[in-house]
Amino acid sequence: MAETIENSHSDEKPKPRVRPIVRFGIFLVSHSFLVSIVCFTSGVLALFLLPVLAKNTYISENALMPGSASPMLSNQHVSDGNRLVKDLTNSNLKSSETGIESHKIIAQYMLDVGAEVSFHKFHPQMNQFHPLHFFSSPDSGKIQENYSCSSYGINTVGIIRAPRGDGKEAIVLVTPYNALTSSFGEVLSLGIAYSVFSLLTQVTWLAKDIIWLVADSQFGEYAAVSAWLREYQTPKFSSMSALNAEMCPDINNLFEIEVHSMAGSKFSNSFRRAGTMTAALVLKVRDQSEQFDDTISIYAEASNGQMPNLDLINVVNYLAVHRQGLRVNVEKLWSFLNLGWLKSLGEIFESLANIAKSLNPKFKFGIPATEYVEGTAILASSLYYQALGVPTGPHGAFRDYQVDAITLEISPKFSLDKVWRNDIILRGGRLIEGVIRSVNNLLEKFHQSFFLYLLTSPSKFVSVGVYMIAFALLIAPLPMVAASLYVDSNSSSNCSKGDSSTPSAITDTDEHGITIRSWRWLNSAKLVFIVHLWGAIVSVLPYFICQIPDCSPTTSFMIWVLLSILSLLILNSVLASPFACVKASQEKEWALVKSVTISSVFIGLGLMSVINFATAEIGALLMVPMCLLARPLKLDVRAGTFRSCCRIICNLVLGHIAFPPAAFFLLKGMLDGFGSANVGGFWMWVESLWAWNSATYLFIGMVQLPCWVLCVSILFHSC
Amino acid sequence: MEKLKKKIRSFSFWNWVIASIIFRLILIYFPKNLNLCSRPEVSTPLTSFRRLAEGYWLKQSSMSPYAGSMYHGSPLLLSLLGPLTVKRIEGQPNHLLYSLVSVIADVVSAMLIRATGQNLQVAYFGTLKSLDLVKQIELSEVHSSGDVAALIYLCNPFTIVACVGLSTSPIENMAVILCLYGACSRLVPLAAFGWVIATHLSLYPAILIIPVHLSFVLAICDLLLGYGPDAPPRKLFLQRHQQKGLSSQSKLPPGFSWGSIIHFAFWALLWSVYVLVLCGISLKQFGGLWEMFKSTYGFILTVEDLSPNVGVLWYFFAEVFEFFRNFFLIVFHVNILFMILPLAIRLHHRPCYLAFVYVAICSMLKSYPSVGDSALYLGLLGWFVNELSDMQFSLFLFCGYVGVSLLSPVMHNLWIWRGTGNANFYFATAMVYACLQIVLVVEGVSAMLNHDRKLRSLILDKPRDAKS
Repeated sequence: MAETIENSHSDEKPKPRVRPIVRFGIFLVSHSFLVSIVCFTSGVLALFLLPVLAKNTYISENALMPGSASPMLSNQHVSDGNRLVKDLTNSNLKSSETGIESHKIIAQYMLDVGAEVSFHKFHPQMNQFHPLHFFSSPDSGKIQENYSCSSYGINTVGIIRAPRGDGKEAIVLVTPYNALTSSFGEVLSLGIAYSVFSLLTQVTWLAKDIIWLVADSQFGEYAAVSAWLREYQTPKFSSMSALNAEMCPDINNLFEIEVHSMAGSKFSNSFRRAGTMTAALVLKVRDQSEQFDDTISIYAEASNGQMPNLDLINVVNYLAVHRQGLRVNVEKLWSFLNLGWLKSLGEIFESLANIAKSLNPKFKFGIPATEYVEGTAILASSLYYQALGVPTGPHGAFRDYQVDAITLEISPKFSLDKVWRNDIILRGGRLIEGVIRSVNNLLEKFHQSFFLYLLTSPSKFVSVGVYMIAFALLIAPLPMVAASLYVDSNSSSNCSKGDSSTPSAITDTDEHGITIRSWRWLNSAKLVFIVHLWGAIVSVLPYFICQIPDCSPTTSFMIWVLLSILSLLILNSVLASPFACVKASQEKEWALVKSVTISSVFIGLGLMSVINFATAEIGALLMVPMCLLARPLKLDVRAGTFRSCCRIICNLVLGHIAFPPAAFFLLKGMLDGFGSANVGGFWMWVESLWAWNSATYLFIGMVQLPCWVLCVSILFHSC
Repeated sequence: MEKLKKKIRSFSFWNWVIASIIFRLILIYFPKNLNLCSRPEVSTPLTSFRRLAEGYWLKQSSMSPYAGSMYHGSPLLLSLLGPLTVKRIEGQPNHLLYSLVSVIADVVSAMLIRATGQNLQVAYFGTLKSLDLVKQIELSEVHSSGDVAALIYLCNPFTIVACVGLSTSPIENMAVILCLYGACSRLVPLAAFGWVIATHLSLYPAILIIPVHLSFVLAICDLLLGYGPDAPPRKLFLQRHQQKGLSSQSKLPPGFSWGSIIHFAFWALLWSVYVLVLCGISLKQFGGLWEMFKSTYGFILTVEDLSPNVGVLWYFFAEVFEFFRNFFLIVFHVNILFMILPLAIRLHHRPCYLAFVYVAICSMLKSYPSVGDSALYLGLLGWFVNELSDMQFSLFLFCGYVGVSLLSPVMHNLWIWRGTGNANFYFATAMVYACLQIVLVVEGVSAMLNHDRKLRSLILDKPRDAKS
């Protein structure tokens, strides 16, 4: 596209015959204003149409065959699970100072059903800022320093070896459990997991090993799971354990005792492994519930907006709804449900669909307005959590190792008395059993269904092929406007020179033009490059700021802002000044700067759409209008027409909104109310982003911020 | 005043050179973080440092370095660079010595490019002068093409990445540049040496024999007429002389001279015999020269290794049916050969530019391309900064190169590490990259031809102007 556009401008003299594609390019570029308005509005409209265009999910992998076998989980297993729940609650009442006792109980139960048991001791690892983490492979070479003997967690791991398997593949079941402050929900989730586990030791159909990880969640659920995974996937052959044993005698003693008490069994003190993980399920039970039904919530977003294979969600959804009669929830933004304009939009779509249906009964694409509003709320939350790039649960740790994983959170309807407890254990257990049985059928890893999708309900999704259209429409104006600006600035400079000259002089000016005309953009490119370099520096600055001890978020943010401004000034004076004179001499410099800026934004957005689509989509909604509208204020003030006034207002508003902190406060205010937003909050948010290695952070620092600076500099350009 | 300006410019040139060297050294000290060594864009089976180390290790344990299809480079590189792969300095990054060699190779290449560029520029001015177009020089802002080319070569991220990523392409590039330098400075032995070494290292520079020969042929014209290695077509000079009313039949450049070709052939033969004897000695107990040809040139020509790279062949040959394989191998290699003759005819008056076009085409169609190859032709492009100032699509090409070089690692990550993409994602960037190179070559050639046309029209218009 861009090629044809640029092709069009090059031949200035009208040729008798131009190729149709070139003519089309010329047409697009010359009408770039209209085309960009049409493209942008249709892009926004297509975004709102996504809930209507969502398709029903289907099980893509034939081998899964969910629900084809009747569940084998019987009341015997349920009572086993109940026994564990009782024992754990009793032990918690007795001794609450350490969680060792309950870990022992769990391990004993695992051993009783004939599983291999081992403890995994880990130290919580602080998330560190790795600007290059995204491009490097996950490695084990992290340096771990200053362990204290007091802070460590113990994961209990039970492994069932499959009677029909070769030990090369495994399915993981995770139950987060904090032994110190164990809530009843956590204990119940252990009960469910145990009932399934005790069943799985007896079944004959098991072809993949089962790993049950009781993750010690006193340092957070994610930390425990990721520590175990790191140990599992990238074994360290260092003297770390020996070192620990010397340093912390208490821990060592504890393990000794346990080994003695379980002597002769399958207990092992070393780290045990099974095969490659096919899938992982994280099981949680919520303590209180205000729902009307027994519901089960699915959390799927991992870091950087990665999703597990859609088939995994499909299987869970299918089994929960059609076999166990559980209601399935995915997260939604509740504030969207009460938006009036969204509702009326849904009604408009519905009535349009009805009209279409009345014209031809075969057109069936409408959905009811309420469903539309709910779909939009779920879509918005799907976009929001993907854009944030922070995993929504411990399942996120698995995705870093290409293991598909989801978190299932069961919220029971009634208070957890005996009967209802049994019911929950039975139904939850049968659901887990069904999912494991399905995954057990897999011959290869999940690959059939989608990885890139957005959910609009538990059983509806928008695939990458559909949502990319909306995004492509949003950013389509960028190359067109860039080309048209480029053409304009080139041709206008030629005209101004050739205007008053006689034919004989034309050759001279022509010859003069040789030297620099087509490479004039290099100066603007240099400016854009400098600003992007500055963006990179700004993104790295927090790494140094957070080394300063005892700094409140507000002061850190202030330091950051000051250092950023300082670095911008320094960079500008060092690198850009020798060329300032060149810049001033050219009248239409701003047009070239804008053209190059738009090109760079186009590249940045295109790149981000591949890394994390949701970020790119939200970023495009903010940045595209700002880039397209930017024009020196002076010119508009001088013009003084209605159109230029509108443009000034739009520019000023967009200039304020698109500044990253301002955008953050606005978004935060919309979601949580404006009371909670403060300056320190932005710092905390940014800190959480880089702690989770979110690419969104890099996007804000290296694409959005430079783009904003360039646009503002265009606005205040003196021409 | 003029001198002062020149001084400032040259001062900033050396500043940039030093800055680029320092930047390389900084990057060399963080090799683990970047992990450039294992990126498919940087190290191909032919240029990979790890394979070189493996080959050296095999040789040290008295096995054939080509055993196990690991190493596919020249045995001379093993003897020269091999020891650097194992030598370590305490407290320093692992491959510091080897990295330093690449940095030196880059700097030497840049200096050679600069010298050649200055040669070319002198020739360019000479041409304009002999065509009475001196006025144009004064009117237009002329860049020192040698400086520009050297800086493009040194500061190009591709060059830096190839240098820091421990590939052998800086050395291969140096050989090619040495050959071109020798050709432009009319040092026949040096040109022959560069050509032989470049061909020995990576086979494809063999086709550079045509531009090198042309430059020698033109060099003889130069003695007669006073124009240099790159000049507008000879017809122009003829027209010029006719306009002047000179009966310059005697001064016409000769069409072809066997002497220079024989001279070059002699030296090329000498050097290649020398290189082959050295290789033979070093591979005496490991199967001899035949083994070397099979696993270097044979490996290049049969595209055995289908691991992903920035080229398009790996994907194609991974997909193609086995019984078509030989046919398509021939098609792809003949593709390069097909372009040689037409281009040579059309651009015979500009051998250096012809060399640039050949290098660009090779780096596009070769079996294991890497970004180091693009670094070479982009550097050479700088020589023609004055002639190509009217090139179209410059912004588009620039943005395309930036976009592709950012997108390629992301796609690779998506495919290999995240598992959400597949090979098509990565191949898409490779295709875009190939298209960009095609656009660059096509636009470059047409801009050069337009430049020649413009010069001609200026010459033809001039008398009319004088009359009016």
